[in-house]
Amino acid sequence: MSRILTMSRAGREALDWEMERRPEIFCLGEDVFKFGGIFGTMDGFGAKYGPERVISTPISETGFIGMAAGAAMAGMHPVVDLAYIDFIGVCYNVLLNCASKTHYMSGGSVKVPMTLLIGTGGGYNNAAQHSQCLHATVAHIPGAKVVYPSNAYDAKGMLHTALRDENFVIFLTHKGTAGVGWMGTPIKTTLSEVPDEPYTVPFGKVKVYREGRDVTITGLGMSVHESLKAAEELEKEGISAEVVDLRSLVPLDREGIIASVAKTGRLIVTDEDYLSYGVSGEVITTVTERDPGLFRRPPVRVTTPDIPIPFSRPMEQAILPLAGRIAEAARKLMA
Amino acid sequence: MTTPVTIPQDLWDEDDKTGSIVVWLYKDGAEVKEGDLIAEVLVEKVTLELLAPASGTLRIKVQPEVVVNKGDEVAVIE
Amino acid sequence: MQLTAEQRKGLLRTMALSRAFDDAMIALYWEGKLPIFQFGAGPLPGELHCSNGAEPVGAGICAALGPDDMITADHRPHHVAVARGVDLDRMAAELLGKKPGLSQGKGGHMHIYDPSVNFASSGIIAEGMAVAAGMALARRLQKRPGVAVAFIGEGAANQGAFHEVCNMVGLWKLPVIVVVQDNEWGVSTAKSESTAVERNADRAAGYAMAGEWVGTNDPDDIHAAAARAVARARAGEGGTILEVKTARLTGHFMGDQQAYIPEQMKQVDPIPPYREKLIREGVLTADEADAIEAEAKARMARAMAFAKAAPYPEPAEAFDHVFAGEAA
Repeated sequence: MSRILTMSRAGREALDWEMERRPEIFCLGEDVFKFGGIFGTMDGFGAKYGPERVISTPISETGFIGMAAGAAMAGMHPVVDLAYIDFIGVCYNVLLNCASKTHYMSGGSVKVPMTLLIGTGGGYNNAAQHSQCLHATVAHIPGAKVVYPSNAYDAKGMLHTALRDENFVIFLTHKGTAGVGWMGTPIKTTLSEVPDEPYTVPFGKVKVYREGRDVTITGLGMSVHESLKAAEELEKEGISAEVVDLRSLVPLDREGIIASVAKTGRLIVTDEDYLSYGVSGEVITTVTERDPGLFRRPPVRVTTPDIPIPFSRPMEQAILPLAGRIAEAARKLMA
Repeated sequence: MTTPVTIPQDLWDEDDKTGSIVVWLYKDGAEVKEGDLIAEVLVEKVTLELLAPASGTLRIKVQPEVVVNKGDEVAVIE
Repeated sequence: MQLTAEQRKGLLRTMALSRAFDDAMIALYWEGKLPIFQFGAGPLPGELHCSNGAEPVGAGICAALGPDDMITADHRPHHVAVARGVDLDRMAAELLGKKPGLSQGKGGHMHIYDPSVNFASSGIIAEGMAVAAGMALARRLQKRPGVAVAFIGEGAANQGAFHEVCNMVGLWKLPVIVVVQDNEWGVSTAKSESTAVERNADRAAGYAMAGEWVGTNDPDDIHAAAARAVARARAGEGGTILEVKTARLTGHFMGDQQAYIPEQMKQVDPIPPYREKLIREGVLTADEADAIEAEAKARMARAMAFAKAAPYPEPAEAFDHVFAGEAA
């Protein structure tokens, strides 16, 4: 096996394989027929599967994402491309009250198997309405699974898993990790050797990118790659960092997080989402609830602060959880 | 026999534009088949595909994030 | 209301200035981003949605408004902002993320705010619909004059917000004008592929609003329709959906190859025909028209020089302005 893929191509391969075999899967979203979705997950599908299964919609998110939920309840498995997570604002009811809760409210009698593909994140100066992560906002909703691969191998395996799941799955990808041309040259650590054949990556299992002794650094999406950069720097200084990709928020692999902290005794949680009421607090609480004695030093959060994402580059670069900030936090923790 | 892998003259329209390889989809030394997608080339914001002109062992000569022009030899297939 | 020769020269002047603004930004856009493409690099980082082709809409509508009136625009705001008289230097500085920018570098090109001329914009499609209607409601409650104008694209007319707001505007006879700029394309989706009716102006009937449709992308015609809509709004007769068949000459955003646009749907630049029309009708000479265009470019060059010379905000300023009433 020697073939290397971007996350974009890996995800596309999974969706293509499933669509070839399962007529209940169809694609829905703005510009998907001609443009193949924000990450090219449906690239070329318009020509291959035709306009009945690859449906370009009007700019009507409340309508078409709600229709996806309805189609799922009626026996289909829609795959919806919502481009930027900032846009959930206009269709939030479907996520919050319908797709996530119907199975429960129906006492298990109605299933809503649908996969919602969403791009997250900033770092490229697109300002406050096109740069948010908001994964905690969707992970807070009971009844929605939320996954967040950060490399090509996981993108393919987790999309196979999502498409075979009987539930509403929110499938997040940080724009900067996808390996699409408009975001520039892909980050090397997002690229993977990817098998031709289909495979699944289970939800609810962390991935340890690199093992370490001194400090656990958890990340998700882009912050995994910033953490890896920081870990490389730290290694030169004699600090051994373990980088753990959460990669699935619902379900969350609490045991995986605890196991790493039990080994290192120090925890830095990186997160490009806002600081408060989010994933970073959840990760720290997970360890604290098990045993606060696992911490040799108080845990640290390196996140985007509780401010809207500023447009101008000097300001945006200063507030993102980039490698420099992560490494600095690790040095302080080791001092 | 060695086949050069060059940036095709018709990969993009405008002759005055340059591109860059953004990713090699096989490692140096990998076996590739003629017609395999072996690299992505970026011109401005547009991703283009570079296909293997022959079957054999890929020897990469130009790494990602280096400017390439039409006709540049970026690899050979042995 | 017939436009005077001076007013029509003004329309050409406005359009030329808007075009000069966008052309200058386009010329700058790729600097630092190539040859190895990097989205966030260069003096003008991020996305850029230019208004080339839509200048007649901004010019024609804004010429029918007064200082009390209020405007919301969308992710493609430059032509409306220029026509409204938003400070050109500070708008240019904002696009470059500079400290003297309208938003001190916080907003960027989709988020242009200038309260001194009642102008706001947003990058979320159709968000400005409700905001404009709310501004009109505020003026009613304050017993102050003022018509609110929401500039949206034809794609935004398929958002729920469009329909909810139109209903309330009709129900409450609010002085709101919804300007639907039909440039035919929502990113790559043609209007015929997204919209159940041929003309959004026809939808006005369902909301007890007036409908106006302008098929020419000519600022004289757009102004005439706007003047009728404004007169109705000021007379307490309620709102209008005013749809204009306009153009999007430089794609959805910078780098859009527009391969999805078939040859027969290629669009026409509206500025040269208007210039020719004014010359033909004796409003101005070719030399005067040249002078207007040269002055627009010179004015924009000064704005760009201001923007380039201006300092960036300090990184720590990112924390300012989250809440009002705090020091910053």
